[in-house]
Parts: sequence; structure tokens; C-alpha cells
Amino acid sequence: MTTTAAAAPAVRASTSSLSVLAWYEARRFARNPVFLAAATLTAYILWDRQRGMVADINAVTVYPAIFLGGFGMVAAFWLTQSMRRSADALDVAPTPWPVRTAAICLAAVIPLLCGGLSLLAIGVFQQVPGDWTYGSLGTSNLFAVVLSQTVLPALGGPLLGAALARWVQFPGAAAVLFLVLYGWVTLTYTLAAAHRHSTLIVMLRFFAPFAFFTNEDSPGRVETWRGSPWFFLGWQLCLCAVAVIVALLRGADPGLRTRLLRLLAGVLGLAALMYALAVVGGWGYPVMTMPGAAPVPIAG
Amino acid sequence: MTSVELRAVAWPVVSGISAVAAAAGACGVAWRGGAPALLPISFALLAAAAAFLLDEPASEVVDVTPTGPGRRTAVRALALLVPLGVGAGLVLAFALRQTRPSWPDVGLALAGNVLLGFAIACVARRRTGEPGPVAASAVVGALIVPGLLPPVARWVHTFPASAPYPYGPPATACWWVIGGVCAAAVAASLASPRRLVR
Repeated sequence: MTTTAAAAPAVRASTSSLSVLAWYEARRFARNPVFLAAATLTAYILWDRQRGMVADINAVTVYPAIFLGGFGMVAAFWLTQSMRRSADALDVAPTPWPVRTAAICLAAVIPLLCGGLSLLAIGVFQQVPGDWTYGSLGTSNLFAVVLSQTVLPALGGPLLGAALARWVQFPGAAAVLFLVLYGWVTLTYTLAAAHRHSTLIVMLRFFAPFAFFTNEDSPGRVETWRGSPWFFLGWQLCLCAVAVIVALLRGADPGLRTRLLRLLAGVLGLAALMYALAVVGGWGYPVMTMPGAAPVPIAG
Repeated sequence: MTSVELRAVAWPVVSGISAVAAAAGACGVAWRGGAPALLPISFALLAAAAAFLLDEPASEVVDVTPTGPGRRTAVRALALLVPLGVGAGLVLAFALRQTRPSWPDVGLALAGNVLLGFAIACVARRRTGEPGPVAASAVVGALIVPGLLPPVARWVHTFPASAPYPYGPPATACWWVIGGVCAAAVAASLASPRRLVR
């Protein structure tokens, strides 16, 4: 009883310090030069694209992912590493490391909001020649695709940056990881365009934090590739959860560490399920969409 | 002196990033059609590796020794052979599989990328003992962002193409200019007295 009574104010104090720290970290994130450059470049690209007609919607949705997600990862990495540099001062403060890490993770709300605004801007202002631009995706699947390509990377990138910085001391890790992920998504896109029917390539394409679902084969001909956009969205959400848990694990006390490890095992299991369903779900074969014609399967 | 200075190079970082670059470039060479996208990424990684060559954690001690910055930089520049060697291997593999763009053009792009990373590090070294992280991020941004911005990408090309670009100068012209500017920047950073901001 005494323990419970004593624990309540401690929890309240911890929650209060978390909210204060989160607000402080969010302001730091919003003022970070890398993030400001990312937000400016995203706004510029979206403005530039909406001035004309875009036949390949990928040419719009990919930019918030690169800038808000990729550059956001670098910004979060630097912010988290700056905490490491002032460890001598922070170690004597009463706030434990996981609370500070959680505050940085909560600051990812800032790029998430920017991702949401990007999605809104694309939905409201972007002009396309016709519904065939979106391939054979229905309204629901299309919503999942744009959500997974613009909003989720804006959240996942900074979370990944925070997790990376908690475990890796090498200061150039974020820049290297950005290039590796960029190269991996580019490679799987190139392979998917060449081997549309291959299940292995579908697996490779979805084994990433970002994936394409359509491709403009030639002007007026849009391919819709295999895979379920909603389950891929679930996979991305699981990756975000994994990043947060891995970030919190560093410096956690034994009790919290045990709980986090159990949670991590559960989330990894769910991620594997989502990944498998994303690969086997959706269209069973790639289809081609053209203006004024019904979608047709692409011959294997 | 040379061996002591070379021992101070951050070899794990330089060779680690070069290994990642080799893997990315090998994927680009292995799959036809992947080279125009993956070789520039690989070269950008090699440029990032070159940006870490001048990192000196003990700069406050080293910078006041009689050995001048020119000598130290010249010795450390020998370590450029690692990223350049990895890149040369990729260019060779590329040349064996594809004929266009020509291997001298791809090789020039490689040399330009690596020199750019090194030059940014040289300039940043005047202000900090460990310019690697900032220089690597800057060179990655400088090499990747122009290709992502359509108005810039139309005119500025950092990787040679199989067919001539419809707009803007060819990549080779771009790299000759950038290479010249980098050489001048390296020379200037070594010639003028070091200015440390503490």
C-alpha cells in the first residue's frame, strides 16, 4: 500500500518531465537546420509539381519520404547524439535515459505533421491526367499507398535516427544509412520493373521501409504491382514500434528492459506476419492500366 | 613520420564505408539497368569515406607540433587509395559488362566525387579537429540533392549517361570544373593559416 502510494507521485513526476522534455525536443527538432532544409525542399517540390500535370504519381509521393524521412533521420540522429556529448551533465540529472529517449521519439510528431500536410497538399492540389494514373488501386488501397509513401516515412525516419544514435557512436552512421536505404529502394524498384511476376522480387521490394506499388511503364501505361498496401502499412507501423523499443532499450533498468524485450518479441512477430501478408495479399499478378480501358493482366 | 601519421587515420571508418560502397556498386554492376542509380550512390559513399581521412581526435596536441598541415594532409592523402581503389574496381567491373557510358567518363566521376569529399574535409579541418561527420553529410547532400530537384537535375549532371543529356553540360565537364575548384580549395586551405573556433 505504501509502495503504491509512493509510486503514484513518481509516475506523475515522470510523466510531467516527459511532456516537458518532449516539448523541448520538439522545438529543437523544428529548429534543426537539416530538418528545416528538408521541410523547405519538400514544400518546394510539391509546389513545383502541382504547377503541372503529373502522369506518374510516384514522382510526387517519393519526395516527402526522401526529405522528411531521410533527412529527418539525419536530424534525429544528430539531436540524439548531441545528448550523448552532454552525458556528463545529464547523468547527474534525475531524469533517466529512457525518458529522454522517449522525449526525442515524441518529437517525431513534428515531421509526422509535415508528412500529413504533404499528403493533404498532394490530395488537394496535385493534378493528374486521369484515374488511370493511380493504376488499378481502389480508393481504399490508394489511400493506404499515399499514407505509406508520404506520412509513415516522415515518422519512421526520425524514429530510426533516434534508435541508431542510441546504439551507434559513429557520427556518420545516419548519412551512410540514408544512402544505403536510398540505394536499396532504388535497386528493388529497378528489379521490380524488370521482373514483375517474381515473388522473390516482391519480397525484396517489401523488405524496406518504403515501397512503390505502381510504375509508369511508358506514357499513358501504368503498371500496378503485386502486394497489399494496407498490410505494408502495418509492416511500416511495426518497424516504427521496433525503432522506438530499440531506442528505449539502451540505458533501461533491468525491469524495464525485460518488459521491453518481451514487447519487442511480440512486435517482431507481428511485423513478420504483416510482411508475409503484404507479400501474398493484393493483386495476385501485375496489371496494366491505360486511359479509357479496363485494367489488363500483364503477361508473364 | 609517414607511418605514424597514417596510423592515425580512422581506418575502420574509411574501410567500413568503402566496403558498403563496394556492395552498393557491385549490385549496380551486377544488374543491368541498376548502374545509373547505384553507381552514383556508391561513389557518394566513397566521397563520404574520403571526408573522414583528416579526422584527428588529438588535434589540440597534433596541431602545435612542428609538422605543418601541408605535410600531414599530404601523408593522409595516401589513404585516398582505399576509396579510389574500391571505386577503380567498380569502374573496371562496369567496363567489362557495359560499354556506355565509357569507363574514362565513369572514372572521372569517381575521382571527382572522392576529391570533393576530401576537399570539403580539408576546408572544414581548419575549423575543427574532426571534420568527418559534417564533411561527409555535406558531400552526400551535395551529390544527392541536385539529382532530386527536377529543375537542377535537368541542368546539372553528376554521372555520365549512355546518351547525351538534352539540357546542360555533360557530366565530364561538370567534374573537370568541380575538380579544379576542389584542387584550389585544398591548396588554399593548406596555404592560409589555420583558424580554429573553440
